[in-house]
Amino acid sequence: MSAGENDGCADRIDAIKSTLRVVPDFPKPGILFLDITTLLLDPKAFKDTIDLFVERYKQKNISVVAGIEARGFMFGPAIALAIGAKFVPLRKPKKLPGEVISEKYVLEYGTDCLEMHVGAVEPGERALVVDDLVATGGTLCAAMNLLERAGAVVVECACVIEVPDLKGRERLRLQGKPLYVLVESQFEAGS
Amino acid sequence: MMNTLRYLSSGIFVISPKLLTSSLPTSVKPSSISALARGETAGRRFYSTIAAVRTDLKVKCFSNMAAPDHKKNVDVKDDRISRISSSIRVIPDFPKPGIMFQDITTLLLDPVAFKDSIDLFIERYKGKDISVVAGVEARGFIFGPPIALAIGAKFVPMRKPNKLPGAVISEEYSLEYGTDIMEMHVGAVQAGERVLVIDDLIATGGTLVAAIKLLERVGASIVECACVIELPDLKGRDRLGDKPLFVLVSST
Repeated sequence: MSAGENDGCADRIDAIKSTLRVVPDFPKPGILFLDITTLLLDPKAFKDTIDLFVERYKQKNISVVAGIEARGFMFGPAIALAIGAKFVPLRKPKKLPGEVISEKYVLEYGTDCLEMHVGAVEPGERALVVDDLVATGGTLCAAMNLLERAGAVVVECACVIEVPDLKGRERLRLQGKPLYVLVESQFEAGS
Repeated sequence: MMNTLRYLSSGIFVISPKLLTSSLPTSVKPSSISALARGETAGRRFYSTIAAVRTDLKVKCFSNMAAPDHKKNVDVKDDRISRISSSIRVIPDFPKPGIMFQDITTLLLDPVAFKDSIDLFIERYKGKDISVVAGVEARGFIFGPPIALAIGAKFVPMRKPNKLPGAVISEEYSLEYGTDIMEMHVGAVQAGERVLVIDDLIATGGTLVAAIKLLERVGASIVECACVIELPDLKGRDRLGDKPLFVLVSST
């Protein structure tokens, strides 16, 4: 679901949406990049963003918030702190020191890899995955696989923005995982 | 002692949790250990094992290892620092041989210690008219935003090249071998704004100096640099010149 469906959220959502900016042809021609840094420049909108997630996830017995490098790091820790969960960074290869587990995933061209520390998550822990945006859902699926390999239960994936045309929600649904977002992007990225 | 120690093939000692409340075995002295405490004890949440690595590093504020009656006189702030300090682990030979890497991810796994670290920064910077918290990629992104949110400041990410979309300004800085580049968005910070710069750790200070330069180029005023950890032997504090530095833990 998206937050706009809830009463009491609409004003905050509208304000959040108005802070986002689209940067054309980034990182390459034809892509309309949804930039959340302008949201971070608005303290009230940034606080509202975190509050909307915290309202949804506190008292749901979530003990792990996993954030995807690097923009997931900007939202995940504040949520984790507010709901009393630990924060687990999911990182590109060779960034985490010590023992890690790795999950490969497919990009438009080629593959990439996400890593998580061994021992960060215990079997049976309930986890939330956070990133700034969901497009195809490939990165979120890799994140969920890492957590589930460590025995955690992924409760939900949460993003500020969804690009519906790229069908990430459907991809997550096929893995039985719900997705919660604050804003749906009206632009068709990649067209 | 040996029945409570298991020597793992990776070369670390695993000590049973009950040892946390008694003195350490004489063969593994506090001054030669940088320890991550794990296990449940006395109502405080620790992790389930200790990895004690023999190093030349001494982490300050080891008061969780002190005898019980000492703790009565330790004030609340020292207790918080102590817990933060003991939650940080050292990984030898990362990213390359000879480097003892200070890993804050284990701090993030302790919700109380993580909250305490943020609170210590908030207590210092609230009400100081700071309108910008600038966090250095990527571990500065973990500490910066919660501080910004609590003090009502904006958060500005300082990033590696080609990560920020749109117009940026760039600053080149020296590494041990070669150089790197840090970028900030044009328009993120206005002239005259008061700024706090955040990173997880200060070593030589090169990265923080690059961040300072970017911010000063747009006319901002640096109030202070704040890090969880300082490696004083690498003299980063001197390199910051007239810019003050505040850290929670000093690791020698």
